[in-house]
Amino acid sequence: MLEILIVGAVSSAIYAMLAVGFTLIFGVARVLNLAHGSFYALGAYGAYWLTSSLKWPLLPAALASIGAVALFGVAVERVFVRPMRSSQLAVLMITLAVALVVEQALFLTFGSEYRNVPGFVDAKVTIGGVDVAGSRLLALAVSVVVIAALWLFIQHTRLGSAILAISQDAQAAQYVGIPSDRIFSVVMGISAGLAAAAGILAGPFLSVQPTMWLLPIVKAFAIVVVGGLGSIPGSIVAALMLGYAETIVAYAASTSWTEIVSVLATLLMLVVRPAGIFGRRAAF
Amino acid sequence: MPADHSGLSSPSLPHRAAVALGAAALALGLAAPPALAQGKPIRIGVPTAMQLQVGRDTQDAIKLAIDDINAKGGVLGRKLEMVVADETENPETGISAIKKLTADEKVDVLVGGYTSGVTLAQLPHISAAKTIYLGVGAASPAITQKVKQDYDNYKYIFRVGPINAANQARELTGFIANFVKGELGISKIAIVGENAKWVQDLVPVLKKGATDAGADIRVTEFFDTQTADFSPLFSKVKDSGAQYLVVILSHASSDTFAKQWYDSRFPMPYGGIDVKSMDGDFCDRIGAKSVGQMAANFAVRAPLTPRTIPFFDEFKKATRRSPVYTAFGANDAVYIYADAVKRAGSTDTAKVIKELEKTNYMGIPGVIQFDEMHDVKPGNASYKGPSFLLAQWRDGCKREVVYPKTQRTADFKYPSWIKQ
Repeated sequence: MLEILIVGAVSSAIYAMLAVGFTLIFGVARVLNLAHGSFYALGAYGAYWLTSSLKWPLLPAALASIGAVALFGVAVERVFVRPMRSSQLAVLMITLAVALVVEQALFLTFGSEYRNVPGFVDAKVTIGGVDVAGSRLLALAVSVVVIAALWLFIQHTRLGSAILAISQDAQAAQYVGIPSDRIFSVVMGISAGLAAAAGILAGPFLSVQPTMWLLPIVKAFAIVVVGGLGSIPGSIVAALMLGYAETIVAYAASTSWTEIVSVLATLLMLVVRPAGIFGRRAAF
Repeated sequence: MPADHSGLSSPSLPHRAAVALGAAALALGLAAPPALAQGKPIRIGVPTAMQLQVGRDTQDAIKLAIDDINAKGGVLGRKLEMVVADETENPETGISAIKKLTADEKVDVLVGGYTSGVTLAQLPHISAAKTIYLGVGAASPAITQKVKQDYDNYKYIFRVGPINAANQARELTGFIANFVKGELGISKIAIVGENAKWVQDLVPVLKKGATDAGADIRVTEFFDTQTADFSPLFSKVKDSGAQYLVVILSHASSDTFAKQWYDSRFPMPYGGIDVKSMDGDFCDRIGAKSVGQMAANFAVRAPLTPRTIPFFDEFKKATRRSPVYTAFGANDAVYIYADAVKRAGSTDTAKVIKELEKTNYMGIPGVIQFDEMHDVKPGNASYKGPSFLLAQWRDGCKREVVYPKTQRTADFKYPSWIKQ
């Protein structure tokens, strides 16, 4: 029981970090960014490359990787997404193309083999008789801190208010002088950085290889559909629901059944309540 | 299909060493005096999964054998040359590769293969092309059963390696009975495998054999090859009261499995068939977290035959990698074919097949002979054929053969956190 609680919390935390960034850029810019999983992959590969090839210590490598991916996110928004933002379909296509290009680039550079991102902690922690890898607890702790910080940033800073304003009504926000394009760039950078951080934190205990972008985007998508596209609290609640649902299914039935949970949840939600739990209106 | 090789992926960059080798071979070919290059070259077609280490090693090992044979004057005065086609892990692409090699490139022999499903799909096309096929990667017994069922149409098919899955199952049962139960004195065992046809076929055989030998199989669990988090699985195994974990993994993320086993200091040793753990760099690439794990292999750098250590060293020198199992079969296959052609006095398919059937060759993993199904005969106490070895990862990411006893290079060592 305690084990389900802990393992579920770790899964949920990683999912939340992925989904919050994904939903943020949707809520603000109405961009459904299919390249979001690529940011996750690039974060992990960046940390891998800096630590293994350039022999950097892990912390600077992780921070540099997050920074670089955030810049890459800004570049993707500026170069590919912005010119096409009027058409949701075009944005979907271009971000999917970015995801595939990143995957191929990773294949060509690193090959198809699994790579290893070193963990910040190697120790095992025993909580109430349950053995948990230190790297998982760290992932949990960092996710909570980062998401809390993001929440404070959005609620209590000028830039955060601008982000909120745009997400509520982009046109009205522009009328009162909020530079929406610049805000979109900032949000894309934050979103990419969050995904990269999730990749680095999950890298030590999950797999790092070129197709690793696909599963996170499926999960993030499921979470934001369930939670309500564009809603940060919705994503967090849905991430917890999905993380725990998967863990419970894995423990009660079999690990072979976990992957179907997210897909079923997405389908059910779209049929029953297309706006999601916290969504104000259907996104589609 | 495993996640790491989607159909969308393109072939990876040719390995630098392979390029260097290729260039060297080309230079050698250009510089060769015309007297040596009489007759047109004998063409070896190589259908393999080029993106994977199994595929790269197949090519590099064939190249080594070809260069060696050509340097000694070729076969019947003819040079050997290699043509490669990417069969990926997709049957459709695999069939195209065979068609390309036989119809367009008109090769004399095919050496390659990895995924059993692909090889099985290729068989009718190989048979239609009446081209000899020396398999070096796929383990399904169904492949060589075709030879028995319909000799006239499938006599072209041989398996140089690895020993087939049915024999592997028998050997793994022997490992549980003789080693885990017999030597470690552990009878409570868990079996965990990926959700794939060959594993589902293998597990009942294994379970029955182990139970007959007096082992107590506490839990049997399958998981999806996409599974990334093994905590629930580990928890089930632990709760079952098992004390040894037998795994059967091929396309699943063995890397993640080993990492999570180590990270949680899982309180029991594990070992079994783990195809990715056969890779020479497996331990290094997961930060030495597999130390203590045992994985089945067909050869490691140990004096199994007079050819084993020299081949490992030669391969490492040429490619800067440790070879995986396809390399042993591929290298041996070229010599076996060359010998058969020499004995037959021509590349005439029917004559060469007759000679191949008489093969008795000192190969890298053991003596290579074929049974009536053209399948490589596995070794046993009285016959030094290729064996099913269980090698344990040790400190410094070195490997030692622990089982069977006859091939043992070191005694088993428990992972550091497990008290005996």
